Formats: sequence, C-alpha cells, structure tokens
Amino acid sequence: METYVILRRAGWRTVDDLAAAAERSTTEGERMPDDVAWIRSYVLEELDGSVGTVCVYRASSPEAIRRHARIADLPVDEIVKVADTVIVRPDPAPVAA
Amino acid sequence: MAIIESARIGALLERDELLEGLRKAFADARAGHGTLLLVGGEAGVGKTTATRVFFEEVDHDAIGLWGGCDPLATPPPLGPFLEIVAGAPAGVAAAVDADSGAHTIAMALLAAGQRGLPLLLVLEDMHWADEATLDVLRVLGRRAGGTPTLVIATYRDDELERDHPLRVMLGDLATSDGVRRLQVDRLSAAAVARMAEGHDVDPAALYRRTSGNPFYVTEALAAGGDDVPATVRDAVLARVARLGPHATAVVEAVSIAPPSLDAGSILAVVGEASESIDECLASGALRTDDGGIAFRHELARVAVEESISPARRLALHRSVLLALTDSPRATSDVARVAHHAEQAADREAVLRFAPAAAAEAARRGAYREAAAQYARALRFGDDLSPGDRADLLEGRSRACYLADDQTEAIQVIREAILCRQAQGAPLEEARALTELTDYLWCRGYNGEANEAVFRASQLAAGLPERRGHAYVFHTQALEALGRGDLEASLEHARRALELGERFGDETIAGHARVTVAGIQARSDLEQGIDLLEEAVESARRQGEHEVAARGLNGLVFRGIEWNRHDLVERYIDDAIEYCTEHTEDLWRINVLAVAARWALDRGRWDDAAGYANAVLDDPRESPWTHHEALCVLALVRTRRGDPGAREALADATAVGVPREEEFAHVDLAAARAEVAWYERAMGDVDAATAAMLSAELGDPTAASRLRFWRRLAGLEGDTRVDGSGPYALSLAGRWQEAANAWAEASCPYETALALAHTDDVDALRQAHAECLRLGARPLATVVARKLRESGARDVPRGPRAATRSNEAELTPRELEVLGLVADGLRNADIAERLFLSPRTVDHHVSAILRKLDARSRGEATAAAGRLGLLEDR
Repeated sequence: METYVILRRAGWRTVDDLAAAAERSTTEGERMPDDVAWIRSYVLEELDGSVGTVCVYRASSPEAIRRHARIADLPVDEIVKVADTVIVRPDPAPVAA
Repeated sequence: MAIIESARIGALLERDELLEGLRKAFADARAGHGTLLLVGGEAGVGKTTATRVFFEEVDHDAIGLWGGCDPLATPPPLGPFLEIVAGAPAGVAAAVDADSGAHTIAMALLAAGQRGLPLLLVLEDMHWADEATLDVLRVLGRRAGGTPTLVIATYRDDELERDHPLRVMLGDLATSDGVRRLQVDRLSAAAVARMAEGHDVDPAALYRRTSGNPFYVTEALAAGGDDVPATVRDAVLARVARLGPHATAVVEAVSIAPPSLDAGSILAVVGEASESIDECLASGALRTDDGGIAFRHELARVAVEESISPARRLALHRSVLLALTDSPRATSDVARVAHHAEQAADREAVLRFAPAAAAEAARRGAYREAAAQYARALRFGDDLSPGDRADLLEGRSRACYLADDQTEAIQVIREAILCRQAQGAPLEEARALTELTDYLWCRGYNGEANEAVFRASQLAAGLPERRGHAYVFHTQALEALGRGDLEASLEHARRALELGERFGDETIAGHARVTVAGIQARSDLEQGIDLLEEAVESARRQGEHEVAARGLNGLVFRGIEWNRHDLVERYIDDAIEYCTEHTEDLWRINVLAVAARWALDRGRWDDAAGYANAVLDDPRESPWTHHEALCVLALVRTRRGDPGAREALADATAVGVPREEEFAHVDLAAARAEVAWYERAMGDVDAATAAMLSAELGDPTAASRLRFWRRLAGLEGDTRVDGSGPYALSLAGRWQEAANAWAEASCPYETALALAHTDDVDALRQAHAECLRLGARPLATVVARKLRESGARDVPRGPRAATRSNEAELTPRELEVLGLVADGLRNADIAERLFLSPRTVDHHVSAILRKLDARSRGEATAAAGRLGLLEDR
C-alpha cells in the first residue's frame, strides 16, 4: 500500500451532497480493505460556491483508487503519489465534527 | 470425562460472534443467497469444533455434507469429495464417481440444494487441498451467490506462505460477491480460566503458556500434573505416556496412517494389542471417524508420529502397506498406498502404485499432485528400461506443464527425449519433441522450439503412419503459422485433422480443427468464424477444455485482427469465463493480456487496467502476458496523469521477454517513449527508441511507430516513409489524415493525439472534448493551452462544468438515476446500466427520496414530473 493524495475539485454542489458521497465512499471502501483505506480529507470551499476535496488515501495502486471512485460515484481530477510526510502540527479540529 | 467436558466448554466459549456469522449465512442460503465462508485460524484454535457445533445445530434443515483434506505430502485428488460421496445426493455422487473434473462436481453441488433445504457443505483443512479440490472451491466461490448453498471451508491461516496455492486462490476470490471470510481467534484469559475450573492448575500460568490456544489448553489439562507442559507436543506426549504399552502401540500405528486407520488394519499392524483401541478412545487420545480410528486433532497425530524412532516408523509403514494392499481399498486409495510404499522404501510397491496415483490425479485435474506422484515413482525408477522411464518422465513433464511449472516441464521432457533415443523409438521421440515445442513456445523460445519441430518431422517422416504423426503434423502447422506461411500451415493442419480422426484422437483432431478454422478466418472472416464456433462447440461437448479455450482465444484474436469490435465484444467475456471455470490458466491470462491491449486501444481504460491487473494477479510463469499487462498499465497511468507509469515499465523490463519476441520489445520501447514524452524527458525518448531502430525490424510499421515518438519529441522533422498507416501519415505531417485513419481503426486516444497536432481550432476542440471524455488529463491540458494560444475562448476546464440547476438540487448523477427509477428499473438494473455498485445506487435513491421529500419511488417519480426535472432528457 502506498499513500496518495486525490484532488476532487468542485465535485459537489452542496455540503449535503458531499456528505452523501462520503457515506458511499465509506461503504464501498469497507468492501475493499485490501485495496483502499481512506485516511483523511480536507473540504475545499470552491470559488463558484460548490465544494471539493483533497483526500489522503492508502491504496494498492492508482487503479484501485479509480475503481473505488467509480463504484462509489466520486469524481477524480488528479492522483499524486506521496513520497514522504512531514507533520509540523496536528490537523485543526474538524469544523463540523 | 472432565477432559471432554472442558473441551466442550472451550468449544463454545467466545464463539458467539462466529456462530452468529454462520447462522446468518445459513439463513441467507435458505433464501437462495449462498455463500462460501472461509474460516481461518491457527492450528488448534477450534475451527472444527465450532463448525461441528453449528453443523449439528442446523443439520436437519439442510443437506449436510462434511469432508476434509488429508495431511499427506501428496494427497489423493478430490479427497474431500470422495469422502462425502456416501451421504451425498445422487447427482453429486454420480459426478464424483464418474471421474468428472472439478467443474462438473462443483456444478452438481450447486444444483443439490433448494430453497428451504439448502446444501451445507463443510470442507476442512483446505491448506492441504489438492489442486482439483481447490478448483472445485474456486467455482463454488464464484457461483454460490445465486444458489441455496452454504460452503464452509476451514484453513490454517498461519501456514500459508506467499505462493501457497490456497493463498493464490483466496486472492482470486477476493472480489467475488458470494465469498466471505471469518476468523477464529484464540481464547481470552477469562475463557481459559473457565476451562481450568475443577483442575489443579494455575489459570494464569495456563493462559501464559498456551496463549489461549484451545487445543493446547485441553491437552495441557488432560496431561494433568501441576506444571503446564512447555509445548503442545509435550502436552500431547504427556497424555500418551499415561497409556499402557498396548494402547501406545495402537496410537503409534494410527499416527503414521493419516487421516485414519480402520480396525482391521490396526489388528493386522499391532496384533493383539488392538484390543486396547477402547482404552485409547476412552482416554480421549483417539476418536472414531467415519472409516476408522483417528486422532482427535492433527497436532496430536504429528506429535506422536515425530516421537517414533525411524526404524520403528519404517516397520510400521511396512505393516500398514501390507494391510492396505491386502484389502480392496488398495485400488481405490492408490495415493495413500503410494505414500506408505515410499515410507516403507518398497520399490516394487512404489512403482506399482505411484504411477497409478499419478494417472488418477491427472485425470481429475490435480496436476500438482500428479507431478509429485510421478516424481515419487522416478525416485525409485533408476533401474527401469528406457521406455518405462520415458513413460514416467513424459507423464511428469505434462503434469508439471499443466501445473504451470514450465521450467521443470522443459527439463523433464528433455530427459524423456534422451530415453526415447536410447530406447530406439523414433515416433515416440518425435512425439516428445512436439511436447518440448509446446513448452518452449509458451516461454517465447521460438528458435529452439522450431529446431525441435524440424527434428520431430524428420524422425516421423517415412515411418508407418500412427497417432503420433497427427501431433507432429499439427506442431508443423503451428510453426508454419508463426512464419506466416498460411498455405503450408493449412496443409499440415488438415493432415493432422485427418490422422487425428482416423486414429480416434479427439484432442489433436480438435486442435487441428481450431487451427484450420483460424487460418480460414484470415482470408474469409465470416466462414472462418462459423468454423471456429463449430470447433469450440464440439470441444465443449466432448470436454476438450483446452481445445475450446484455444478456439475462444482464436475468435477474439480474429475479431481484433479484422477490426470487428462487435465480434470481440461478443467473445471476450465468454473466453475469459470459460478459461476461468475450466482452469485453462495459460489461455486465460493470454486472452486477458490481449483484452487489456484491446481495451486500451478502444479508450476503455478502466477495463484495460482491470484486465491487466487480472493478469498480474496470476502467479504463473508467463513472460509475454505479464510484460504486455505491465506495458498497458504504464500507458493507462501515463495517459491519465496517474503515478506509477515508470514503475510499471521497470517491472516490464524485469520480466525479461526473450529477445526474439520482437513485437514485445517494440511495445515496450514505444511505451517507454510515450511515458518519457509526457514527462518532457526527450533524452529518454531518444534512449527508448534508438537501439530498436538501429536493428533490422521485421515489422515495417514498428519503425514508423517508434519514429512517431521521436518526431513528437522533436528528435526528427517531417519525413516521408513507406506505407499509408496512421504512423506514416503522422511522420509526413498529415495529421488530419492520420486522425481519420485512427478513427477508422476505433482508436479514440490516438485520434485525439493526432488531432492535437493540427492547427485547426475545430479539430483541436474535438481533440479536447475527446480527452475529457477519455480522462486523458495531461493531453487535455496540452490541447487547452494550444487552443487558448490560438485565440479560442470558453475552453471548458473539466467534464463536470455542466452541472445543471434544478429546484431540488439533485446532482447530475441523481437526475440520471431518477430518470431510470421513473422508467421503472430496479436498483440492480440501474447499477448495471450505470456501471455503479448496487449499494451506491441505494445511496443515490435514498438521497433522491430525501431531497424530493418522497416516501416511495412512485412518489419520487410524481415529484419529478411536478418539478419538471426529467423534461430535457
């Protein structure tokens, strides 16, 4: 398993749509535990009023990320492999926890 | 009886969750939704005990069958299924008795259950399973989902090394819907303490030492004494040490004859000591099994067997061998007899029973076991005549080949050829040479293979015609085909067909039919396709699976060759399915690799990656298919802008396809050039292509294809080259014509790539739209920049820019799903239509209902009509 960052820019009209997508993502992800593991996401406030995400995943291959996205119906703009992690401070507390 | 009591308590402690899982799967199976449950856990953790409790609980509501694999180094083929025959429904028993292969047996099992009275099949100790048994399990796993069948397969998960056949199969089944895995864990300290109640032992020490392994706990308690034995082995031996000398003799005899020994044989082996069988049973050291007396657990058996001195073990094996060969079981249980024959170092018995066991295993499709039985015979066969030795070597070679050990197959058939020479049997030698040729072709050693064909044809020429000639002619036909000499190939194939039919050899006749039809399809597609279909149909009827698999591969290839994608679509799934079900593995990965390239060319990158990964998941030695899959994967990644293209190329290089497979090396060079071009590493484009281009290339389009990338990288200017193909047109700078040629060949990405090099704004827009549709992000970016530079406005940024507004704020996908709901489709059909998982469709439908404030699909449809949501469909 490698670590990847996935850009899903302006993927959803509303935060509710994103929440529904997140639920699908979790359900499908749990069905392929050997291939993808969702680590965390940052929700983006896009200029056109929609929302996007930057997601960090562990995955067996880029194709596994795309397969997960396809069956859970999530957009994918770009997949980038993470070479290393530098953690300076912990993540801020989630806004809508 | 305190021991048995504590074992029973141990069986039920902390197993609620496991039993619930089994009960739920059983309820589903009753309703027609079957499952293959894989129950894993370490040796002695209680897989069998828990399964047994569940089995007894539901047995009267099911057709219950229970079979297990034997811990022999070379188990009998389909062992667990032979065990269940006695109590099995007629259809299943008939399939097993009739010497059927794995597929037929699996289908009979799946047909045995019915709603309300499902089939409950327990298969124990699958880590010891023979190849044919695993094949049955694979089919059960793929198909149980839609049938009233519950299969529970137990296995030791701590004994599966990386390349263990069961582990490979678990990987194959990972994505099947009807397969689930359950884990049996060790007991907690509290549970161990409960088992220790009434025993004079410190529960904490017992837990520390046994780590909560229930078998170890039970044995330690049975061993008695104040101290907990240091190992499971010590615990078992301490218990045995308390038996009298006669009982010990019985226990030792049973220990060397897994899985069990019948009372008659025990009497023959230990004489009057056999009166102590009852003592062994009462003490709990042994138990009665269907056919005889067995250990309560394999761990106990191994502990006792290992404690016997080598000389005593040899004597025991001799006695057991004598007892077994005296009984009618000898002929039906040859694998077991062969085992004792070898352990007893009885040459004559090994040479009698091991080849019989090998033939039996091969007939059942357990090729790994067949190869091992032949090897066993060969270990004792130094003094055989060359002809007899060659028979064994040929058998072993074929079994190795079918078990995907091609390196060994090649080495062994070479030895057989030498034996045939020594024997002075030229036609048999020629026949062995045709086998060698097959194996060499598989590995891509074409030069050596073709030499063998030549030698075989020389040997066979002038001899009176026999069955062997059919094989020689057919190999000659394939060799000629490889050279592109269709006329000679057709002539040889027809002679092979005629001889195959005359001598009643359906295998070679079937192969020859496929070859003849394949050649005819090259000149007349429709007629050739009809012939190929007939050949496949007849092979299917006769159970000639390799012929059918090869014919289905041929149908796919001809479709690709003629650019008839409708034909490819029609046959590809059928070919993959057939090869998978009948474990024609080499043909399966072959068609998958071809399918990967085909899907890549069609711009179907998800499919291409799926096919490629299916090839790569296969552990078999097959250089070309893995090389091809890695090239395809590298191209999918680079064209999408995904990471990992370079890694895939490095892996492809590491596969090491023989130099003489020129097309594979051209594929790799072109893929390396394309990846380098996207990375703007023009020096690497040069490095990837220069060496290949300096050599003489057999295929004229190969040079244009490599120079195409050099031109894109600015290493070459416009050049006129021979030929009119799209690469030649591109090299001449005739991009629009090249694009047309690519479109004609149904290659959308190549079309877009050619259009991207025109200066026409409409063509560029077309290229851009195509890139967005394909998900070719890097090329889309290049084209978008070029469009903006040429003054075009409104270049869309991505495929999702067209989000429509609607009152209920449904997403485009939700609108799409709503439309299909309104059409009356069920969720499963919607999932299929939109290539989504059924669960995702469930999610979408609930979101739609929520947003439309609807309580049912009907209400949602009505609301959609009211709001005018579906008007512009």
